[in-house]
Amino acid sequence: MSKNNIQNNIRKLRFNANEMTQQQLADDVGVSRQTIVAIEKGNYSPSLELAFRIAIEFKVPLEEVFSYEVL
Amino acid sequence: MTYQEKQSIVNIVSALLITSIYGSIVYQKHVLGQFDLTTDFKTWGVIFLIFIGVSIVSRIIIYIIFHILNAIATRDEKVPIEDERDKLINLKSTRNSFHAFSVGFMLLFVMLAFGMPIYGLFIFMVIFGVISEIIENSSRIYYHRKGV
Repeated sequence: MSKNNIQNNIRKLRFNANEMTQQQLADDVGVSRQTIVAIEKGNYSPSLELAFRIAIEFKVPLEEVFSYEVL
Repeated sequence: MTYQEKQSIVNIVSALLITSIYGSIVYQKHVLGQFDLTTDFKTWGVIFLIFIGVSIVSRIIIYIIFHILNAIATRDEKVPIEDERDKLINLKSTRNSFHAFSVGFMLLFVMLAFGMPIYGLFIFMVIFGVISEIIENSSRIYYHRKGV
Protein backbone atom coordinates (compact mmCIF):
# COMPACT_ATOMS: atom_id res chain seq x y z
CA MET A 1 0.00 0.00 0.00
CA SER A 2 1.53 3.32 -1.09
CA LYS A 3 2.05 6.04 1.50
CA ASN A 4 -0.19 9.04 1.20
CA ASN A 5 1.03 12.61 1.03
CA ILE A 6 -0.60 13.73 4.26
CA GLN A 7 2.10 14.26 6.87
CA ASN A 8 1.46 14.43 10.60
CA ASN A 9 3.18 15.55 13.80
CA ILE A 10 1.28 13.32 16.19
CA ARG A 11 4.38 11.65 17.56
CA LYS A 12 6.00 15.01 18.37
CA LEU A 13 2.76 16.35 19.84
CA ARG A 14 2.40 13.26 22.02
CA PHE A 15 5.94 13.69 23.26
CA ASN A 16 5.25 17.34 24.12
CA ALA A 17 2.05 16.36 25.91
CA ASN A 18 3.86 14.71 28.82
CA GLU A 19 4.85 11.74 26.64
CA MET A 20 1.26 10.72 26.09
CA THR A 21 1.00 7.08 25.00
CA GLN A 22 -0.70 5.96 21.79
CA GLN A 23 -3.28 4.13 23.89
CA GLN A 24 -4.10 7.29 25.89
CA LEU A 25 -4.58 9.30 22.71
CA ALA A 26 -6.63 6.50 21.17
CA ASP A 27 -8.92 6.34 24.22
CA ASP A 28 -9.34 10.13 24.29
CA VAL A 29 -10.31 10.43 20.62
CA GLY A 30 -12.36 7.20 20.56
CA VAL A 31 -10.39 4.94 18.22
CA SER A 32 -8.20 1.86 18.63
CA ARG A 33 -4.45 2.10 19.27
CA GLN A 34 -3.86 0.40 15.90
CA THR A 35 -5.56 3.33 14.18
CA ILE A 36 -3.26 5.82 15.91
CA VAL A 37 -0.25 3.68 14.93
CA ALA A 38 -1.48 3.59 11.30
CA ILE A 39 -2.00 7.38 11.24
CA GLU A 40 1.45 8.05 12.71
CA LYS A 41 3.08 5.77 10.14
CA GLY A 42 1.15 7.44 7.33
CA ASN A 43 -0.67 4.23 6.47
CA TYR A 44 -4.10 5.71 7.09
CA SER A 45 -5.60 9.15 6.48
CA PRO A 46 -8.15 9.87 9.21
CA SER A 47 -11.57 11.34 8.56
CA LEU A 48 -11.95 15.10 8.99
CA GLU A 49 -13.86 14.51 12.22
CA LEU A 50 -11.10 12.35 13.73
CA ALA A 51 -8.44 14.81 12.56
CA PHE A 52 -10.28 17.61 14.39
CA ARG A 53 -10.68 15.45 17.49
CA ILE A 54 -6.92 14.82 17.55
CA ALA A 55 -6.18 18.53 17.09
CA ILE A 56 -8.61 19.46 19.89
CA GLU A 57 -6.99 16.83 22.13
CA PHE A 58 -3.60 18.54 21.71
CA LYS A 59 -5.23 22.03 21.84
CA VAL A 60 -3.59 23.08 18.57
CA PRO A 61 -4.96 24.09 15.16
CA LEU A 62 -5.55 21.28 12.66
CA GLU A 63 -2.68 22.41 10.40
CA GLU A 64 -0.23 21.91 13.26
CA VAL A 65 -1.18 18.25 13.40
CA PHE A 66 -1.62 17.48 9.71
CA SER A 67 -0.09 18.98 6.61
CA TYR A 68 -0.52 18.20 2.94
CA GLU A 69 2.53 17.89 0.71
CA VAL A 70 2.17 17.92 -3.03
CA LEU A 71 4.53 15.16 -4.21
CA MET B 1 -1.15 -9.96 16.20
CA THR B 2 -4.23 -7.79 16.72
CA TYR B 3 -7.66 -9.01 17.78
CA GLN B 4 -9.05 -8.33 14.28
CA GLU B 5 -6.29 -10.35 12.61
CA LYS B 6 -6.85 -13.29 14.94
CA GLN B 7 -10.59 -13.06 14.31
CA SER B 8 -10.02 -13.14 10.53
CA ILE B 9 -7.86 -16.27 10.84
CA VAL B 10 -10.56 -17.90 13.00
CA ASN B 11 -13.14 -16.98 10.34
CA ILE B 12 -11.07 -18.62 7.58
CA VAL B 13 -10.45 -21.78 9.61
CA SER B 14 -14.08 -22.05 10.70
CA ALA B 15 -15.34 -21.54 7.12
CA LEU B 16 -13.09 -24.33 5.87
CA LEU B 17 -13.93 -26.58 8.83
CA ILE B 18 -17.71 -26.13 8.78
CA THR B 19 -17.99 -26.46 5.00
CA SER B 20 -15.74 -29.52 4.77
CA ILE B 21 -17.43 -31.35 7.67
CA TYR B 22 -20.95 -30.55 6.42
CA GLY B 23 -19.94 -31.38 2.85
CA SER B 24 -18.51 -34.76 3.85
CA ILE B 25 -21.68 -35.61 5.84
CA VAL B 26 -23.87 -34.74 2.85
CA TYR B 27 -21.60 -36.70 0.50
CA GLN B 28 -21.72 -39.76 2.80
CA LYS B 29 -25.52 -39.66 2.73
CA HIS B 30 -25.44 -39.36 -1.05
CA VAL B 31 -23.10 -42.36 -1.33
CA LEU B 32 -25.28 -44.40 1.06
CA GLY B 33 -28.25 -43.69 -1.20
CA GLN B 34 -30.33 -41.63 1.25
CA PHE B 35 -30.82 -39.10 -1.55
CA ASP B 36 -29.58 -38.63 -5.10
CA LEU B 37 -27.91 -35.26 -5.45
CA THR B 38 -27.41 -35.64 -9.20
CA THR B 39 -31.14 -35.34 -9.93
CA ASP B 40 -32.95 -34.30 -6.74
CA PHE B 41 -32.73 -30.48 -6.72
CA LYS B 42 -35.33 -30.08 -3.99
CA THR B 43 -32.90 -31.81 -1.63
CA TRP B 44 -30.20 -29.34 -2.66
CA GLY B 45 -32.50 -26.53 -1.50
CA VAL B 46 -33.03 -28.24 1.88
CA ILE B 47 -29.27 -28.93 2.19
CA PHE B 48 -28.46 -25.25 1.55
CA LEU B 49 -31.07 -24.02 4.06
CA ILE B 50 -29.80 -26.40 6.75
CA PHE B 51 -26.22 -25.36 5.91
CA ILE B 52 -27.07 -21.69 6.54
CA GLY B 53 -28.52 -22.55 9.96
CA VAL B 54 -25.65 -24.88 10.89
CA SER B 55 -23.11 -22.31 9.73
CA ILE B 56 -24.63 -19.49 11.81
CA VAL B 57 -24.90 -21.57 15.00
CA SER B 58 -21.38 -23.04 14.56
CA ARG B 59 -19.87 -19.60 14.01
CA ILE B 60 -21.53 -18.21 17.13
CA ILE B 61 -20.12 -21.11 19.18
CA ILE B 62 -16.65 -20.78 17.57
CA TYR B 63 -16.69 -17.00 18.16
CA ILE B 64 -17.57 -17.46 21.85
CA ILE B 65 -14.78 -20.06 22.27
CA PHE B 66 -12.33 -17.78 20.45
CA HIS B 67 -13.23 -14.83 22.66
CA ILE B 68 -12.80 -16.89 25.85
CA LEU B 69 -9.44 -18.33 24.70
CA ASN B 70 -8.25 -14.90 23.59
CA ALA B 71 -9.27 -13.37 26.92
CA ILE B 72 -7.35 -16.11 28.78
CA ALA B 73 -4.26 -15.74 26.56
CA THR B 74 -4.10 -11.93 26.57
CA ARG B 75 -5.74 -11.38 29.99
CA ASP B 76 -7.88 -8.73 28.35
CA GLU B 77 -11.62 -9.34 28.35
CA LYS B 78 -12.55 -6.26 26.33
CA VAL B 79 -13.45 -6.63 22.67
CA PRO B 80 -11.69 -3.79 20.81
CA ILE B 81 -13.99 -1.04 19.61
CA GLU B 82 -14.69 -0.89 15.88
CA ASP B 83 -13.56 2.54 14.73
CA GLU B 84 -13.68 4.29 11.36
CA ARG B 85 -10.55 2.51 10.08
CA ASP B 86 -12.00 -0.91 10.94
CA LYS B 87 -15.23 0.02 9.15
CA LEU B 88 -13.30 1.12 6.05
CA ILE B 89 -11.27 -2.11 6.12
CA ASN B 90 -14.46 -4.18 6.46
CA LEU B 91 -16.01 -2.29 3.57
CA LYS B 92 -13.02 -2.85 1.26
CA SER B 93 -12.70 -6.51 2.30
CA THR B 94 -16.40 -7.11 1.60
CA ARG B 95 -15.97 -5.44 -1.80
CA ASN B 96 -13.10 -7.83 -2.61
CA SER B 97 -15.22 -10.75 -1.45
CA PHE B 98 -18.14 -9.71 -3.68
CA HIS B 99 -15.80 -9.28 -6.66
CA ALA B 100 -14.39 -12.78 -6.09
CA PHE B 101 -17.86 -14.32 -5.78
CA SER B 102 -19.08 -12.45 -8.88
CA VAL B 103 -16.17 -13.82 -10.93
CA GLY B 104 -16.93 -17.30 -9.56
CA PHE B 105 -20.61 -16.89 -10.40
CA MET B 106 -19.76 -15.94 -13.99
CA LEU B 107 -17.40 -18.92 -14.20
CA LEU B 108 -20.28 -21.18 -13.16
CA PHE B 109 -22.22 -20.21 -16.27
CA VAL B 110 -19.15 -20.65 -18.44
CA MET B 111 -18.74 -24.15 -16.98
CA LEU B 112 -22.44 -24.86 -17.55
CA ALA B 113 -22.05 -23.73 -21.15
CA PHE B 114 -19.20 -26.21 -21.52
CA GLY B 115 -21.38 -29.09 -20.35
CA MET B 116 -21.02 -29.19 -16.55
CA PRO B 117 -23.98 -31.07 -14.99
CA ILE B 118 -26.52 -28.97 -13.04
CA TYR B 119 -25.54 -30.43 -9.66
CA GLY B 120 -22.01 -29.12 -10.28
CA LEU B 121 -23.51 -25.62 -10.10
CA PHE B 122 -24.40 -26.14 -6.43
CA ILE B 123 -21.06 -27.69 -5.55
CA PHE B 124 -19.06 -24.91 -7.18
CA MET B 125 -21.34 -22.27 -5.64
CA VAL B 126 -20.29 -23.54 -2.20
CA ILE B 127 -16.63 -23.65 -3.28
CA PHE B 128 -16.72 -20.08 -4.61
CA GLY B 129 -18.54 -19.02 -1.42
CA VAL B 130 -15.68 -20.39 0.69
CA ILE B 131 -13.07 -18.84 -1.62
CA SER B 132 -14.76 -15.44 -1.39
CA GLU B 133 -14.83 -15.72 2.41
CA ILE B 134 -11.11 -16.56 2.45
CA ILE B 135 -10.45 -13.54 0.20
CA GLU B 136 -12.55 -11.31 2.47
CA ASN B 137 -10.68 -12.30 5.63
CA SER B 138 -7.27 -12.32 3.93
CA SER B 139 -7.99 -8.81 2.65
CA ARG B 140 -8.87 -7.77 6.18
CA ILE B 141 -5.54 -9.07 7.49
CA TYR B 142 -3.70 -7.39 4.59
CA TYR B 143 -5.36 -4.00 5.13
CA HIS B 144 -4.76 -4.16 8.88
CA ARG B 145 -1.07 -4.84 8.35
CA LYS B 146 -0.26 -2.77 5.27
CA GLY B 147 -2.68 0.10 5.71
CA VAL B 148 -5.77 1.24 3.90
